[in-house]
Amino acid sequence: MLVNRRLILAHFWLAFAVFGLALLLGAWQMFVRSPLHTWLSNPEWYYRSLTAHGTVMGYVFPTLVAMGFGYAIAESSLQQRLIGVRWAWTGYGLLAIGAVMAMVPVALGRASVLYTFYPPLIGNAFYYIGVVLVVVGSWVWVALMSVNLYAWKKAHPGEVVPLPMFANVAGSYLWAWTAVGAALELLFQIIPVALGLKSTIDAGLARVFFSWTLHAIVYFWLIPSYIAYYTIVPRAIGGRLYSDTMARISFILFLVVAMPIGIHHVFADPMVGAGFKFVHSAFTALVAVPTLLTVFTICASVEIASRLRGGRGAFGWVRALPWDNPIMLAVTFSFVMLGFGGAGGLINMSYQLNTTIHNTQWITGHFHLIFGGAIVIMYFAIAYDLWPHLTGRALTDLRLMRTQLWLWFIGMIVTTFPWHYVGILGMPRRMAYYDYTNPALAPEAIQVTISVIGAVILVISGALFLTVLIRGQRTPQADSGPYRFSVALHPPTSLPAVLNSHGLWIALMIALTITNYGFPILNLAARSGTSVPAVYVGAQ
Amino acid sequence: MSARELFSFRNPHTRTAVSVTAFVFLLSALIGFVLLPLAQPHLQLAGLWDAICSAAGVPRGVASTAAPPAEPTSKVVLTSATLAHPSQQSIGRGATLAQRCAICHGPTGISRADSPNLAGQYAAVIYKELADFRSGARVNAVMTPFATNLTDQEIADLAAYYAYLPRLPAFHPEPPRAPGTIVVYGAPSRGIAPCGSCHGSLDNKTGSPWLEGQSAVYLKAQLEAFASGQRRNDISAQMRNIARAMTSAEIEEAAAYYASQPAEVVKAVE
Amino acid sequence: MSLEAQDHHDGAAIAARTERRWAIMSVVIIVVLTLLAVVAGLHQVTMPQARVETADPARLHLAGEFMESNLGTEVGADGAVTVRAIGQQYSFTPACILVPVDTPITLRATSADVVHGILVQGTNINTMLVPGYISEQFMRFHATGDHLMPCQEFCSFGHEGMWGKVRVIDKAAFAARAKAGGRLSCVGE
Repeated sequence: MLVNRRLILAHFWLAFAVFGLALLLGAWQMFVRSPLHTWLSNPEWYYRSLTAHGTVMGYVFPTLVAMGFGYAIAESSLQQRLIGVRWAWTGYGLLAIGAVMAMVPVALGRASVLYTFYPPLIGNAFYYIGVVLVVVGSWVWVALMSVNLYAWKKAHPGEVVPLPMFANVAGSYLWAWTAVGAALELLFQIIPVALGLKSTIDAGLARVFFSWTLHAIVYFWLIPSYIAYYTIVPRAIGGRLYSDTMARISFILFLVVAMPIGIHHVFADPMVGAGFKFVHSAFTALVAVPTLLTVFTICASVEIASRLRGGRGAFGWVRALPWDNPIMLAVTFSFVMLGFGGAGGLINMSYQLNTTIHNTQWITGHFHLIFGGAIVIMYFAIAYDLWPHLTGRALTDLRLMRTQLWLWFIGMIVTTFPWHYVGILGMPRRMAYYDYTNPALAPEAIQVTISVIGAVILVISGALFLTVLIRGQRTPQADSGPYRFSVALHPPTSLPAVLNSHGLWIALMIALTITNYGFPILNLAARSGTSVPAVYVGAQ
Repeated sequence: MSARELFSFRNPHTRTAVSVTAFVFLLSALIGFVLLPLAQPHLQLAGLWDAICSAAGVPRGVASTAAPPAEPTSKVVLTSATLAHPSQQSIGRGATLAQRCAICHGPTGISRADSPNLAGQYAAVIYKELADFRSGARVNAVMTPFATNLTDQEIADLAAYYAYLPRLPAFHPEPPRAPGTIVVYGAPSRGIAPCGSCHGSLDNKTGSPWLEGQSAVYLKAQLEAFASGQRRNDISAQMRNIARAMTSAEIEEAAAYYASQPAEVVKAVE
Repeated sequence: MSLEAQDHHDGAAIAARTERRWAIMSVVIIVVLTLLAVVAGLHQVTMPQARVETADPARLHLAGEFMESNLGTEVGADGAVTVRAIGQQYSFTPACILVPVDTPITLRATSADVVHGILVQGTNINTMLVPGYISEQFMRFHATGDHLMPCQEFCSFGHEGMWGKVRVIDKAAFAARAKAGGRLSCVGE
């Protein structure tokens, strides 16, 4: 029973609208730094675009998707009208205001510091305040998810929490805690300097705070997609979820281990001790486990769908799958990209292998493949699956949806595979232009050009995606019935407390944060001698 | 399913979860803080406690090696806070001091010869150059005697005064020329960034002067002095790195371009 | 128990067992990967720097290890080769780093202003330069030749122009130049 459809649609529309704009910026960036374009006479435009693209794609777009999907899950899986609708709209409003507040100085060229901030470079204070507001808006959603689950548990004592809500709330707690790192950096370090209240800042400590947020934020982005894997895909393709228990264990592992591993983002930094780098490396290895579990469970669930359709043989059952179903395509493409992106992630996680590709274009290629590819393609699937229930109208053009998904997949591969390769060649990140006539850099030229072609394909796919959604607001009204999630093969009738609530896991997440981040932070925060002068960007 | 049940060690799942987590942490800590550091003898760690502290990231000083005798270089420390908010009194004192500068640098801070125009120049720049003339980091037959007896406060006052003056056109303004590639793009393969990334048109790096409307003869002479190493007061050789990599044609082109630009386009520093 | 319920119960047990087996395999794979990292560390492949050291970026040029006259390649009394460099907006000093081939070298570097990176193309020498902290990495080149050395982190609008160079020469040529003492570099060559 989706009652607050306008609320959910508002989140999705804002998300996909800003996504479209940022996608255009991304394609432009790829083009202007390629051999196809003369060097920018004002390199600041490139860095301005990078800041806008990163901020929207990293902080605004996926947050809105998680929030919208979260509200939909809260109502549908709990079969309960959303509690706190006014608060939900307030959170949405705060996020929207924050996004605009952040984008205005960026658009004016007063905050071209990139979405990773990297003090001691300091931009206009309103950029940072805007980002803080975006985060605060999302924390309202976190509180509401918790409140809604609590109310349901009181009304259904001792019952099994539906898997979608269990995973959704786990994701919300993970986000709330992981956002604290960047919030501390912004509130206590950067904004005071941006407002002129202080003129020095500890750049190393700021990077440690940011690393707290930087890894787990990608799991916050990833959890809606994984929820879709477990609770949408099996149902959509006519199968069953192979194991409800394993699903819960995966989300629990993400909740505990996704967060206290961020120092692998500062492997190459001089302000963190080698011992902590190793501890984070070990826990990063652990966070690969839930993905391995997920791959198995989802493949097994998909196989069930195929066998129910008469699929035969050890591998031949793949042919019997409903390939005309866009959700089937989406999960397949997602898994292929997850495979390559995940392998790349294992390379990044190893200190030794990381030294070769750190801060080269390999990194950018990697996270575009895994986030822009594997995760975002499932956001498309979520939108396609939910849309009829949100709009009360059917999505009829399956062919257009399939084409859009194919183009996104092909575009991502064509964009990111050469991107990884130029990273291995040593092409550094974040430069507005490159001298491809230099013989040492000439081999990179063709690779970057291929990535531009991929970018064009992605823009076309993005336009098709928006077309499908817009058309979906205009087709004749059709009742799609209540929104349902997948059913487990062996639905649990009762569960141990550890698989039905989050308290223990949150406690472990916080405990690991203290052990893994406590000393690195206090070590630097307690010293005044490590603060360095701020460098204000774009002195006007 | 109460919270007490969840957080109790009688719950086997809780026991397992907490034990596994603790075990992984302790084992990885043992490896990371003890085993790996001690397995690297070339690190010259002074025992177990030193190994653990170093691995934890406690800052350790390292005995610094003796540097060979230095030729005089700039001793000025520049940050964005340098001379950020000059007082009116400082500007007034600077006006008085500047009377002796007018003979070469003009009564309005615009030079009639090939000495630099100072009117409206960034305060940090004027401060640094005067301090460098005084210390001998920068040597000029004319400027050195003027700077020798200035105190820190006097230098700051002069800098405040000149920064406060309006940026007027050059004495012999030239028709604006188009910038060459070296100015607009730099030369990445030779490690040259666009001039404007420090010199104001894109961004101002504290201590880098804006160049519009300065004498072409002066600009060329300074670039050549940096290129040959004769001028050494750029902190840590940052301008020598650039000028050395420029060709003489590029130096001429850059000097001529900036000389032809109107000073009024310069953006002020806040 | 009816036959159907028995089937269901068996099915659940089979599914659970299969999942458990896969979970164990996943954990084993991950543990093996981690052990590889440990073994690599014990055999002294490239490791994170062992110590955190601090510096004052605004005062590097006044005195101490990173003053201008101390930058470049130094051959110590014991023959140890150390390269000292700083990164600043928008160049490295020395802009051209001179090193001998087949020799263990210690790179020590820091930033004079904002976060920079230092990456020697064609090698795995790759580290961040964070103002306030000193970076140290051990390196060894196996062949002579030139390498481009870009800054790999955004350091504001001149970042795209920040490219240095590393020149590797044979040991004899290096020793000849090192005889004169002082700090070596290949700037201006």
